[in-house]
Amino acid sequence: MESLLLFFIGILSIGAIYAILCLALNLEAGVDGLWDLGIVSFFGIGAYTYVLLTAPPAAHHQAYILGLGLPIWIGVIAAGIMGGFVALLIGTSSLRLKREYFLITTLAFGEVIRQVYSNELWLTNGVAGIFSLAPPFRTTLEPGAQQVAMFALLVCAVAIVLWLVQALTISPFGRALKALRENEPLAMMAGINPFSHHIRVFVVAGVLSGVAGSFYVWYNTLILPHQFVADVTFFVWTAIIIGGIGNNRGAMIGGFLFIILHEALRFLPLSSNMAETVSSLRTAIVGLVLILVLRWRPEGLLSEKRARIVVRGS
Amino acid sequence: MLEVHDIHRSFGGIKAVEGVSLNVEKGRIVGLIGTNGAGKTTLFNVVSGYLGADAGRVTFEGADLLGAPPYQIAKRGMVRTFQTPTGFPRMTVLENLLVFLRDNDTSIAPALFRRRISGSISAEDSKLAGEVLELFGLSEKRDVWVQDLGAPELKMLEFARATMASPKIMLLDEPAAGVNLALLDSLVDTIFQLRDDGMTFLIVDHNLGFICRICDYIYAMADGQVICEGEPDHVINDKAVIDCYIGSAGTDQ
Repeated sequence: MESLLLFFIGILSIGAIYAILCLALNLEAGVDGLWDLGIVSFFGIGAYTYVLLTAPPAAHHQAYILGLGLPIWIGVIAAGIMGGFVALLIGTSSLRLKREYFLITTLAFGEVIRQVYSNELWLTNGVAGIFSLAPPFRTTLEPGAQQVAMFALLVCAVAIVLWLVQALTISPFGRALKALRENEPLAMMAGINPFSHHIRVFVVAGVLSGVAGSFYVWYNTLILPHQFVADVTFFVWTAIIIGGIGNNRGAMIGGFLFIILHEALRFLPLSSNMAETVSSLRTAIVGLVLILVLRWRPEGLLSEKRARIVVRGS
Repeated sequence: MLEVHDIHRSFGGIKAVEGVSLNVEKGRIVGLIGTNGAGKTTLFNVVSGYLGADAGRVTFEGADLLGAPPYQIAKRGMVRTFQTPTGFPRMTVLENLLVFLRDNDTSIAPALFRRRISGSISAEDSKLAGEVLELFGLSEKRDVWVQDLGAPELKMLEFARATMASPKIMLLDEPAAGVNLALLDSLVDTIFQLRDDGMTFLIVDHNLGFICRICDYIYAMADGQVICEGEPDHVINDKAVIDCYIGSAGTDQ
């Protein structure tokens, strides 16, 4: 029973990590209208930054730079900063492009960055990856309690990110983003500079995704280039479409729901041969849910709400 | 206040605007008339920064506008409406207005650290929004999404938005198009009211009756050039203008 509970907590932990990615993507794609197909770039950059700063120095059979063994909280902050920095670089060169071109460019950047992880052995130890990375509380707690504590941390992180994204959404900044999403030429008439708003929201999404990347390393205790394929981007997009694009709570729920759907088949008691066959159905199940949602709730489970604006002092 | 000097703009081989100059003084209502394709809207797009010009100069309160992007021009206090009413469809009417508030602070830090202030509007802004909504008969639609508005309401939203920006000058592109007679009267009243409060207008329209009723000074355009300018009485009796408007001048009156 306890192991089942821990297993479920494990799934919810990865769900929490996806929820953070969903909130980040929703801010740029649901509140603003950026068709970003490269959110995995910042996720991966965050994860690798975290590993290179917190892992012990490379052993004789490995090759990667740094390995400073810094405390994990420094790693998490650095992951956010690097995620934001890479977003700034990618955004500066690609945000002047219109929708479809922006989409292709961000997708391509994601792929290029993954190729760097795979091929630059001196930097990342290549496809062999880096293993045995210590999650939080390794030395202080029992393995079971450790997993629960990490889950608690992730839940707190989701709550903070939800608060932050919601605060931005209801602010004049969020209103300007929505205006740009809805009608960019008209938004300019309101004195809104499109590029300066797009780049800022892109960097915020990069910071959040970078932080989520460091959490992903906590969960996996290892890092491989293969973890950062474009699938992650599409999973996050699917999750926010199911949850409700434009609605922050919807996007968050979408993240959890996506992972639960994706992992649901693991509960079936199957022989190892069958399990392999059935696991390839995971994507099909998610696809089916996506189709059902689009058919009966095209705006997602929670649709975007009409903003209620409060007057100060009343 | 607004000076347009010898503007040229062509699209491929078509010369849309060929050396147009006009001058709008503060507190006046200036009209721009002309048949379809005369180059009025092109001129509007150049002045408001949506189109570049091949040659010429546009100055607003002494500052050069040509080449500045629309958002910078808007910040200087010039706002325009569009021929086809638009809006931000999936935002409420109130939000549509708030986006246009002058001196909106859209930086990120206050949104995070002063959330309660940033996520609300001041009593002052709320009062202004209330007055603007009232003025254009949109009070009841305050919290409705703009995509759910009817055509006349959308038209009123155009003016409401422009008023909300508290600009120094308003460029109205065909304000009378698609507006019924009763509404037109109230629109004329509103324009006069705003003018009395110090607003300046440059108005493009086909409706000669409407233009003559409100404008202090009129420029008539044809084939990308100004063919006549002056007081309304002078312009509508000008032979060149009558030639251009033949048939329509009589019925519009």
